[in-house]
Amino acid sequence: MTATATRTAGSATGTPATAAVRFADVSKSFGDVRAVAGLSLTLHPGETVALLGPNGAGKSTALDLLLGLRTADSGTVELFGTSPRQAITQGRVGAMLQSGGLMEEVTVRELVRLACDLHPRAYPVDQVLATADLTDIADRKVNKLSGGQEQRVRFALATAGANDLIVLDEPTTGMDVSARQSFWTTMRAQAAQGRTVLFATHYLEEADAIADRVLVLHQGRLLADGTAAQIKARAGARRIVFDLETADEALLRGLPHVASLEVSGRTVRIGSTDADATVHAVYAAGLYPRNLEVAGLGLEQAFLAITEEASAA
Amino acid sequence: MRTLIRLEIVRALRNRKFMFFSVIYPPVLFLLLTAGADSHSKLSGTDVSVVMYYMVAMCAFGAMTAVLMGNAEMIARERDKGWVRQLRLTALPGRGYVTAKIASAAAISLPSIVLVMVVAAALKEVRMDAWQWGGILLSSWAGSFVFAALGVAIGYLATVDTARLIAMFCYFVLAMLGGLWMPFTVFPAWLQHIAEYLPARPYAALGQAIEFGDAPHLKDIAVLAVYLVVFAGGAAWMYRKDTAKA
Repeated sequence: MTATATRTAGSATGTPATAAVRFADVSKSFGDVRAVAGLSLTLHPGETVALLGPNGAGKSTALDLLLGLRTADSGTVELFGTSPRQAITQGRVGAMLQSGGLMEEVTVRELVRLACDLHPRAYPVDQVLATADLTDIADRKVNKLSGGQEQRVRFALATAGANDLIVLDEPTTGMDVSARQSFWTTMRAQAAQGRTVLFATHYLEEADAIADRVLVLHQGRLLADGTAAQIKARAGARRIVFDLETADEALLRGLPHVASLEVSGRTVRIGSTDADATVHAVYAAGLYPRNLEVAGLGLEQAFLAITEEASAA
Repeated sequence: MRTLIRLEIVRALRNRKFMFFSVIYPPVLFLLLTAGADSHSKLSGTDVSVVMYYMVAMCAFGAMTAVLMGNAEMIARERDKGWVRQLRLTALPGRGYVTAKIASAAAISLPSIVLVMVVAAALKEVRMDAWQWGGILLSSWAGSFVFAALGVAIGYLATVDTARLIAMFCYFVLAMLGGLWMPFTVFPAWLQHIAEYLPARPYAALGQAIEFGDAPHLKDIAVLAVYLVVFAGGAAWMYRKDTAKA
């Protein structure tokens, strides 16, 4: 497989003072494992950013470092130009962690009231309950909730006050489709108010639909950083499949906008950033493709293509 | 922070099973230990009756059990479940968490102390001046904060599996050396000397000084204060530094 797309990884633009999140050459190891390896990135206020990566890519560690739950071995992590702890103390950061447990033997309302009480810029308790769609179950015990309801409580804890940055780790895990949709509707409203939203997810369609920027993390490094469309383009946004009597790999590779090429027997699979131009060039080269198909590539396939390529390298 | 303290106390009181055993255990043990004792027999070489000695010892022991065991295990579990991580994402300072845990422990230790005293007065004919009752109640209760803080610290050092064992070990050794189960005076002099600087002996000594009609000794108060600062400070520091659990 060949990729000709340019790498945008590690681009640290913007001034540090105004950045919502800034990682500068951050590394963190656990024993021999480098969970995060020289990570640099900047998130700007108002961005909605998806963090993608296969299991073990370092997403959770990166989020822990971002929230000050862990300390980096080297490099600096800053939120709004200050330390993560400072930013949290100022009430600028709300987070919903996958590993975040809930207090037991208390009601939903009691727990949300606690979160509001601890937040320097808290919203009224009833408003937080309503936003997280918890009003109906406010008097239930926290340890008697379903997985999706628990996630909504975590969401309420993360949005108990006027945060400037909201960090969500796998927020829709355990939610059914309609719950997931209403969750993202709520989240979009938060982003529309100018908040920076950073979320890690396994559901790539969520990243595709919601994020205006996608970060792909792999083996602790930033592999790709751009809009969903750019990430797809990098992997070859469209897949062209056809049969040829005799496939000349060198010729095919030389066609315009080819991001990836795979020949098995007589079947040729091309990932292309501009399918129209590539197909046109196929005919122009005097080839006679049969059973020609052109299909769009989802972010999921793009993501797989990018990470597989990095694993192979 | 006040909401957290209130919530922790409410939670502790809602846990009926734990509450029941923590409150019932000390008076039962007191009755067993003093079952054979004549209400008026004096502890050798002193003016304090055996029953009174054990009453103070059991007030201390009961409070210590409730707070040490309860805190250590509960905190280890809350860390394991990730609640502490969630709490660390709030503006709550480290001392807030430790204070709330000590407060909820204190809410449980108070009724256990009161019950031992009520049983001693009603069934064992213990008679003292009003200030002595009040003084023993207050010192037993205040002293239990030291062990609550130790429980928080153990909850931080241990895992869910080891928290109970470590807490048990600490509490057996401390209770034994503190003379809570047998008169302190049976120990050899060197051991008595060491025990004076461990937390349980000064703790029991507060109440015993009052039994003798004295004010608690300053040295005992100082030793306890140092332990309280060390345990609570250590626990608050570990709350912030807790990175062992992913």
